[in-house]
Amino acid sequence: MKKNLFTILVAALFFAGNANAAVDGAKAEAFVKKVTDEGITQIINADIPQKEKDARFEKLFNNALDLKFIGQFVLGRYWKTASNEQKKAFIDAYRDLNIKTWSQRFDEFKGKEFIFKGTTPSNSANQIFVNSLVPMDQGEPAKVVWRVKQTGDNFKIVDIIIENVSLAITARNEYTAYVKSAPGGINDLIKDLQNKTKQVVKK
Amino acid sequence: MVLPVILAVNTSCATKAPLDRHDQADTFETYNRAMFKFNYQADKYVIKPVAEGYRAVTNEFTRNRVSNVLSTIKEPVSAVNHLLQGEPLQMAASLGRTVINATLGLGGMFDVAEGWGLKKQKTGFDETLAKWCVPDGPYLVLPILGPSTPRAATGLLADSAMNPVYLGTLNAPADVKDKIYYSYTTINGMAYREATLDLTNDLERNSVDYYTTMRSAYMQNRRGMSCSSKDKGETANYDFDFGYEEEDEIFDEMENQ
Repeated sequence: MKKNLFTILVAALFFAGNANAAVDGAKAEAFVKKVTDEGITQIINADIPQKEKDARFEKLFNNALDLKFIGQFVLGRYWKTASNEQKKAFIDAYRDLNIKTWSQRFDEFKGKEFIFKGTTPSNSANQIFVNSLVPMDQGEPAKVVWRVKQTGDNFKIVDIIIENVSLAITARNEYTAYVKSAPGGINDLIKDLQNKTKQVVKK
Repeated sequence: MVLPVILAVNTSCATKAPLDRHDQADTFETYNRAMFKFNYQADKYVIKPVAEGYRAVTNEFTRNRVSNVLSTIKEPVSAVNHLLQGEPLQMAASLGRTVINATLGLGGMFDVAEGWGLKKQKTGFDETLAKWCVPDGPYLVLPILGPSTPRAATGLLADSAMNPVYLGTLNAPADVKDKIYYSYTTINGMAYREATLDLTNDLERNSVDYYTTMRSAYMQNRRGMSCSSKDKGETANYDFDFGYEEEDEIFDEMENQ
């Protein structure tokens, strides 16, 4: 009996592992499409005040992105040495700066659309790349790739790659270089991000 | 983009996950940062105000016409490079675009060829070298021209030498040649800077370390150039391992160098 139980447990773990490793490409693409559709129709093209747009965008941003996952990646090895307060403050500052920055750019996206081009597998477990193109007014369309992580039936965006430039890698290189040379380390970074957010809001 | 040091064929022009070290390694960081500072000041007080002035006195329609003319002038450079990359169809398309746009497109102001199915497929000697699997080399900030690598700089020099404006004035008197070439370079630079105004303003405003952001974005973007012999089965350069533990080891190693 004990042996059977053990076999079932091992089998369950094995299948659970496999299920985790394989991401449903069609569902991942549908998820990103839903996020972009919502962003374009209910925020960018919607005839509502900017304040309402900002509020809707903040909600969409928080729901669609796994900010804790991204935050710990972009802070690199400094994440391990950061206190819980610093981690929380960093993620909040990073989130605020991104939300405010993107909110300022809504007009640039007016009339734009995403054309989805299927998915590409990732070497990382539970992750997949959703490929898309954005036609531009002049020249070739821009290539935008969405890195999506699946946890059970839940999907979250963990990186956006525009013309081969990963926002996560860029932020990581920037923030780790900054913390390395800043006398106040992570605290200085958090303060600087908060100041940047204030400047964006003022603009 | 300067300086040629292109050697060794066929090593690591392609990239692989996890995070390529070149994204972080900055062999000439001290020099690069100093040159970046110099360029920043030159841009702030001279180049950017000129580009902003150009934007202020022209409308989008006019700027698009200027951009199209400049693009048509460079089209033969793309044609030669397509040939060097073993792409005869693209070469024919580039030549066709040059003829159609230069004539029916009123000197290149209008992209008539695109409407006929001949889409612009811009390329240069930098991309040719990448296709030949010539390594990119370290990040380099060039005076005035900005972010570059040895391969990019070599590509720029070669493309400049192939440029019809340069070739067409080779036998002209020196003063005429200089006037034409310097005027062309100035207009080209001004139009380019105007086109990147919004992007660089955004990057600067949101960066806590503008130099690193520029370097990282520039080097990642270059990874899109593929090496022919390694095209197949290669994972995308952005498919790095999101497990940050492994990447931290790379950072540690680099700091101890």
